[in-house]
Amino acid sequence: MSDDFKGGRGSGRPGPGGKGGDKGKEGGKRFFFRRRKVCKFCQDKIDYIDYKDVKTLQSFVPERGKVLPRRMFGTCAEHQRKLTLAIKRARNIALLPFAAE
Amino acid sequence: MSDRVYEILFIADPNLGEPEVDTLTSTVQGYVEKEGGKVDKVEKWGKKRLAYSIKKHRDGSYVLMVVAGKPTLVHEVERRMRVTDGLVKFITVRVDDDLRKAQNRKARRGDDKRPARVEPVEEAL
Repeated sequence: MSDDFKGGRGSGRPGPGGKGGDKGKEGGKRFFFRRRKVCKFCQDKIDYIDYKDVKTLQSFVPERGKVLPRRMFGTCAEHQRKLTLAIKRARNIALLPFAAE
Repeated sequence: MSDRVYEILFIADPNLGEPEVDTLTSTVQGYVEKEGGKVDKVEKWGKKRLAYSIKKHRDGSYVLMVVAGKPTLVHEVERRMRVTDGLVKFITVRVDDDLRKAQNRKARRGDDKRPARVEPVEEAL
């Protein structure tokens, strides 16, 4: 919306919300292809997320030590639940930090 | 009731030497056996850096123990561990259920070689 007045009509900028309206109708398709995130655990067929496996857990926890929402890693609901539990267990026994120091 | 499988992971004082950690491990093992449990596996991880300091310690020796026993065992073993010197922290996790479920899934997947569920295409954010 905000960039309408700049005459950005033909710019082809793929606005995420598609609020421009006219652009979206024309093609009917999105202009860029966002790679679909797939749950890493489903892919690797990991059924049990081990709290002792720090290496795997660390790849899903930023430096700060937070548990990030599903949309960041594309994990499926089931694995996200297991992941969260595993992270919490790992924190308890000082394998992962609660918060960065 | 059949026995359950637990993992007891504990952190020993980093100032303890190797033999002392072994003694501590066998002490905990003794607690388990006294409650009618069976120690299936003992795994020493050695000294590791803690993610945050516990009781002023920055490091700790990790020992993992896989134990089978009655649910009441956990209560008693944990109570005893709490009053044991040289133990910085411990955690007991029940694993039999989760591992069995994982096993079942693996077996099911072996049949049709494909994940049972085809995931719907996600809308772009």
